[in-house]
Amino acid sequence: MSAVVVDNPEQGISARKAIAPSRGKRPWTFYVLASLFTAYVLALYGPMFCIYILSFQDVRGGLVFPMKGRSLHWFIDLFTQVRTGDVKGSFDRSIKLAVIVTIITVVISFLAGLGFRRRFKGDSIVFYMMIGSLVAPGLVLGLGTGLLFQALGLSPAWYSSALGAQLSWTLPFGVLVMFAVMSRFNNAWDEAARDLGASRWQAIRLVMIPVLAPGLVAVALFGFTLSYDEFARTLQTAGSLNTLPLEIWSMTLNVTSPSLYALGTVTTIVSFVVIGVSLGSIVLIQKKRGAQKIKG
Amino acid sequence: MPSSSSTSRSSLTGWLYVSPLVGVLVPFFLAPILVVLAASFFGSDGFGGLTPGFTLANYVEVLHSALTLKLYLATIKFTVLTWIFTLLIGFFVAYFLVFHVRNQLLAIGLFLLCTVPFWTSNIIRMISWIPLLGKEGLINAALISTGVIRQPLEVLLFSDLAVVIAYVHQLTIFMIVPIFNAMARIDKRLIEAAIDAGASRFDILRLIVVPMAKSGIALGSIFVVSIVMGDFFVVKVMSGGGSASVVSAFYEDVGVLQYPTAAASAVLLTLVLVAIVSLILRSVDIRREITR
Amino acid sequence: MRIERGDIELAGVCKSYDGVVNAVDGVNLRIADGAYCCFIGPSGCGKTTILRMIAGHEDPTAGEIVIGGHNVVGLPPVQRRTAMMFQSYALFPHLTVRENIAFALQVRGQSKAERLRAADAMIEKVRLTQFADRLPAQLSGGQQQRVALARAAITEPRVLLLDEPLSALDEQLRVQMRQELRRMQRELGITFIHVTHTQLEAIALADLVVVMEQGRIKQAGPAREVYAHPRDRYVAEFMGGQNVLSGRVAKVNGGSFLLKQGAREAIEVPLQARRGIGVGDTIDIAVRRDDVALVRPGASLPPGCGTALPSRVTAIEYQGYFVKVMLDTVPDDEFVAYVPEKTFFADPFNVGDVVLATWVADRARPLA
Repeated sequence: MSAVVVDNPEQGISARKAIAPSRGKRPWTFYVLASLFTAYVLALYGPMFCIYILSFQDVRGGLVFPMKGRSLHWFIDLFTQVRTGDVKGSFDRSIKLAVIVTIITVVISFLAGLGFRRRFKGDSIVFYMMIGSLVAPGLVLGLGTGLLFQALGLSPAWYSSALGAQLSWTLPFGVLVMFAVMSRFNNAWDEAARDLGASRWQAIRLVMIPVLAPGLVAVALFGFTLSYDEFARTLQTAGSLNTLPLEIWSMTLNVTSPSLYALGTVTTIVSFVVIGVSLGSIVLIQKKRGAQKIKG
Repeated sequence: MPSSSSTSRSSLTGWLYVSPLVGVLVPFFLAPILVVLAASFFGSDGFGGLTPGFTLANYVEVLHSALTLKLYLATIKFTVLTWIFTLLIGFFVAYFLVFHVRNQLLAIGLFLLCTVPFWTSNIIRMISWIPLLGKEGLINAALISTGVIRQPLEVLLFSDLAVVIAYVHQLTIFMIVPIFNAMARIDKRLIEAAIDAGASRFDILRLIVVPMAKSGIALGSIFVVSIVMGDFFVVKVMSGGGSASVVSAFYEDVGVLQYPTAAASAVLLTLVLVAIVSLILRSVDIRREITR
Repeated sequence: MRIERGDIELAGVCKSYDGVVNAVDGVNLRIADGAYCCFIGPSGCGKTTILRMIAGHEDPTAGEIVIGGHNVVGLPPVQRRTAMMFQSYALFPHLTVRENIAFALQVRGQSKAERLRAADAMIEKVRLTQFADRLPAQLSGGQQQRVALARAAITEPRVLLLDEPLSALDEQLRVQMRQELRRMQRELGITFIHVTHTQLEAIALADLVVVMEQGRIKQAGPAREVYAHPRDRYVAEFMGGQNVLSGRVAKVNGGSFLLKQGAREAIEVPLQARRGIGVGDTIDIAVRRDDVALVRPGASLPPGCGTALPSRVTAIEYQGYFVKVMLDTVPDDEFVAYVPEKTFFADPFNVGDVVLATWVADRARPLA
């Protein structure tokens, strides 16, 4: 640390510098933590890349390295073989369901974000109900929903019971993200719009939605990906037709070929496309606004 | 009084805005929980049907079973181990990004790098450990070729170790994000002031960073604890059927249509979970922290 | 109903957020059409709440707000013919200068060509033509203020409400924009209501200064009256420039009375308009700081000066055209003399010097 002091005589001892000098010698902790970080990222991505690579083996391929040949055999196998189940159908359903969940999540989270701007009587009840929905064991909730449908004489299906069960998972996330987004929204913008004669709806359409657009994209990203990967709550509520994660689950139990990895590669590509589109559009919106900072 | 009418009017608009949210949570969170609660007091006809009534037999059965204790111990073991590892890794990764990376844009980029897998399939991320940890996996192969071991290690995959690895792999992100947010809000001048007062690096960590990141730690802990305690999937797959947790036993019960006992055990688990979460919530006003 | 004039009357206006404490407590005030009115007071005194109630962003708990002869309570902002300029301006961050200014016309359903033409005319008026396509974040503070002004003015309001419009600017720009505000007010010929906590700003701009404390009006009047003739200790201390002394009335004779402070020499104070002062009353008096003259002990007092309070100089601050000399004249209270620069440096004092603080007898004023 003494080196730091000597390095910055004109600025005195500065904190940023003592912990992480903005120039000059880095403290030893930097190297320790940088190694930790690198190890974490490697452990995070390493295994995933292993299965992506292994999914491109040829017909001799197995579940472990070394790589046997190179082909798209297991991808074709995935979508043509009956024994791997109805991958295509479940894939379609998952995408459709995720799109519906996304739209509903964005709309409801946005409205709830508006509602929670001011405190109102009983707001804590709603808030803690939401937290409850977030932390409740998914399988238990799913079973409860399944039993409820049974008791009401309804048959569970991916577009009814599973849709609701997934919303009970995506909405708490969406609203929490909305909270963070709203805390950066200056209520004076809304008031200014009203002052200039805008109706409530005009203020929402012309001011709130465009200003909050990046945040709403983030909510959409949460909605889509959480739904697309949801498993525990969907298991007891999807009815007779599987969603993709349920299909993968049944494959883990009875498929021992690289088909499984191929499916992993395919769904990850979809995820990456969605993430890329979302982050890209957020960046685009911010760029269009001249990289300005939103005043809190 | 006019003021009371204006507060009730603003309450009404508030409720109007959150009514769609409530409209989803009531049928798909509140009602299912109540259904499970009700089912836990019902009798079973042994063929998957429920016989309405009121009996505590299911609870007696669950509480008297030696298995229950074993399941809870296993669940707690997994929860504590996962919590410790995710907290340590999450805290120091966030600390590194906020206080050690000089370029802020780079810090945000690296932060996003950590969050991307969160948005991909958990199941796939879990399966992806197979080619690494398996009997003929990369790690065993590497250890054998370097001569550290002669026989492949069996404990790597389909063991408790594999379960914890999979949890930490999936859940560390839930620690990183809130802790990163909390740390990023720490005013850098505060740390400068501490340095001026002669605080060491460790003092700063102990006296400033940790207390001010407490809300993030609490929020992350809620996520990690509730997900691990509610999980059955990772335990089932990664332990290779060797271990069980409360929820995985619940899953088996449901599989053999033992609804009432399953429901009783689910209610007990939910109570434990509620107790833990409210304990954490007592230490931090989560709502104020999020909306701030 | 169409509001044509910008005169405002507040009658018994109260606002309570919790039903217990009144943030605004029975305010009565009349503001003439085309006046420049400044509300001044410390933060939390209710001045911004009054502004927001006039604007229609909050409803009064009780009382009436009358603009141009119509009670506007319950009406939406746009029907009141008011426009508000928000603190730190609240310019829409996603719209350009032109779009910001055209916003009010857009929500009124004007065609794009029509509203952009009107906006451009307004942009010219506030001299922002070259910045018309910029976003707010790309403007300086002064430019942002002009956009905010133009955005509010395009609705052709009869009343413009300004919430601390200058507080986001630095010192030099503040003086400049102050003049610009006054110019705009004259050009538009409408009522301006301006909330501030800076005394200088208020007295420099306003026809009518309203001093507030804890939800109540302490004094309202022309700038000079409020500054030179504060009604009570609060106004005197808040507006500044006054020394306030407290004491007991020892004697009343004809046009004046004698104020006694502990063991010190009595101060003679003209009664002026004050009535009902009796012997034994505790009373505050005010003496303007620039009316106080300092003489060395033994020197003769300037003509007309009666009271001479012996004091010690505790601090001296050079202020440019005058020198601020702080004295220990009153125990536990400030007592300051503003001495013209030339007078001071003709015979400068040092900290610790003993001086006599004196003033022309009729310059002292009793306070309520």
